[in-house]
Amino acid sequence: MAFRLQRLPSVRPEIAVAAHAVAIGLAFVVGGIAVTISGHNAFTLAAKVLTASFGSEFGLEDFGLLFGPLMLTGLAAAVTLRIGLWNIGAEGQFYIGAVFATGVGLFFSGPPWLMLTAMFLAGGIGGALWILVPTLARAYANVNEIITTLLLNFVAVLVVNYLSTGLWRDRKQSVLGATARIPYEVPNLSGSLHAGILVAVAAVVLMALLIRYTRWGYEVRISGANIFAAHYAGIPVRSRLISVMLISGAIAGIAGMLEVAGTVHRLQGGISNNFGYLGIIVAVLAGGSPIGVVFSGFVMAVILNAGIILQAQGILLNDVLAMTGLILFFTAIGEQVAHYRIVATHVVAQEA
Amino acid sequence: MFDLKNPSRRKFLTMAGTAAGASLLGNTGLVVPSAYGAGALGAVKEEDAVIAFGHVGPISDEGWTSTHHDGLVAVKAAFPKAKYLEIETIPYSADATRTFRQFVAENATLIFSSSEYGDLLAEVSNRAPKVAFMECNGHRVADNFSWYYVKHWMPTYVIGVAAGLMSKTGKLGYVASFPVPSVFTSVNAFQMGAKSVNPKATTQVISINSWFDPQGASQAGTALLDNGADFLFGIMDEAAYLQVAEKRGIPAAMWNTDVRRYGPKSYVTSCVVDWRKFYVEQTRKRLAGTWTGNEQILLPLGEGVDRDAWGESVPENVRQTADAVRTKMLKDGFNPFAGEIKDSAGKVKIAAGEKMDDMALYNWNWAVEGVTGLAT
Repeated sequence: MAFRLQRLPSVRPEIAVAAHAVAIGLAFVVGGIAVTISGHNAFTLAAKVLTASFGSEFGLEDFGLLFGPLMLTGLAAAVTLRIGLWNIGAEGQFYIGAVFATGVGLFFSGPPWLMLTAMFLAGGIGGALWILVPTLARAYANVNEIITTLLLNFVAVLVVNYLSTGLWRDRKQSVLGATARIPYEVPNLSGSLHAGILVAVAAVVLMALLIRYTRWGYEVRISGANIFAAHYAGIPVRSRLISVMLISGAIAGIAGMLEVAGTVHRLQGGISNNFGYLGIIVAVLAGGSPIGVVFSGFVMAVILNAGIILQAQGILLNDVLAMTGLILFFTAIGEQVAHYRIVATHVVAQEA
Repeated sequence: MFDLKNPSRRKFLTMAGTAAGASLLGNTGLVVPSAYGAGALGAVKEEDAVIAFGHVGPISDEGWTSTHHDGLVAVKAAFPKAKYLEIETIPYSADATRTFRQFVAENATLIFSSSEYGDLLAEVSNRAPKVAFMECNGHRVADNFSWYYVKHWMPTYVIGVAAGLMSKTGKLGYVASFPVPSVFTSVNAFQMGAKSVNPKATTQVISINSWFDPQGASQAGTALLDNGADFLFGIMDEAAYLQVAEKRGIPAAMWNTDVRRYGPKSYVTSCVVDWRKFYVEQTRKRLAGTWTGNEQILLPLGEGVDRDAWGESVPENVRQTADAVRTKMLKDGFNPFAGEIKDSAGKVKIAAGEKMDDMALYNWNWAVEGVTGLAT
């Protein structure tokens, strides 16, 4: 009797979830070994991270402030995965959403609820506009959206730098170009934790319901699973593709609006905190599932929050970033491994 | 000094903390005005003290951040029993708030921020009224919050004099970060120093939107030289453009530290900073319970900021002329920032007979005549 590997065309959900869990676990083991080799006690540090993140008000607030934007940018990347596309540009859409929201907040005035609603819409519109050209290029000219969305990230950073150090600059800050403080702020839930996290949860639930239970969602899933079958079934694939990408951009833009109106309060370079890029990891870990984004966003927020706690213990930032890379690496392997199963083969003796 | 055991004072501090929290909840976005004047936070035993340093760049930059790290080393030598926390490369994002909050969570007694994080830091300090904060290049103060910086414009003017004498064309190049007051003041002081000895002097500025971007600084340096500049200055955290100047045989002046080994022929001097004495002094005050917030501290020429020893290729007459200006500043309190000063559009901003004081220089936000490339 011998064994061989058999590749399966699709993976059962429970196997996929298990593969991700094992991958994350293995990444922590490798990270732990590296930390131990560098002369720290991995268990003490892990305990420190957990107590500092979840055992204090500050820690919980910090965790929440990471969790919210990660869910949103993760969701932005996840929805495009459902139709088989990659939005690598959540970073840029995040920035442009922040730009639009800042523009509304600085140059218009009104009652706070109205202004925050206007900023929210402006953020969504800004994000959607930033992905519009890649979307149309993909839909009508079949231009690879990975490249176009990625490259627009760099343009978005330049737009933010131009505005925050030029046109919209506040002349009182000294070290960095930044706009004046936006007078409208997302209300706080507790301490510094603002209501943006509720928006993120609502967005995740809404997208999950749309994709699972509506005709639109069904057509998106079919288009993502097999584009030819979708065409054959008469699904307007192009129109679904356009709507999914614009929604993705809008979600990332709203994340930018919430960051600027809830956390930073000024438009300046660097506010994205790489949430756009981290969102891709979150979406991949979630396997493109909106609800999965809640879990993978949670893991990512713990890791990022741990990064700051560990730096105070003398561990370098790069080591923490390496950890996120390890997780993605193991997940990619795990995803492939989950496609295989071991089958026993009976060797039939050849007759002479 | 207040009796620190006085319960009413304690009560006040608690109230101030609550007020700070309430103001955040109320979304006023305003800094809580201090009801009291400067007040001390109470003495701390050396072994109980936790001194935290938050840096904008890597401590290995051999420039800005390494000068602050040297400060930490000096404090550690003076107070070896205290606990020290140090985090480098803190981004200008909500991560800064998280980082400084982590210092508070680790029971920091005194926190130095080696760059201005503005609201991102205020968010933390407003809710930690018992922790002392010091923000380098900051712009706000509170009962638990002071800022400090150096009068870099004085040595920079001296460097400008040397540049004006050494440049043949009068075209000077400047590698800048952002159009913010420290940069305006530095560019203006440099241009005014040069113009005082070379009427044709002009300064072209290129901003690279970063304080630490060796590649961007090299590119900016190259572009300035290609455009005809024959002297380079700048305000980078590291020394990349010196290497560009060395390759092209052009003199260059630097910031922060003595980096002549990266371009021994080009190196003219540097606007060197030294925080060691200041940091030790502030830590001593904090431990003794005499540290106070609401302070605005500018370290003068010769005490924390100065020009470095001249480079090997600086001619004797240049050294003498520039040093004569420096001596005049030190001995006679010479302030070269006197009217009439025009802005880059030719409009008179400081009338003849008027002088700019330290706060005006610290908050300078327009470029003087002869400067190009710096948005006003």
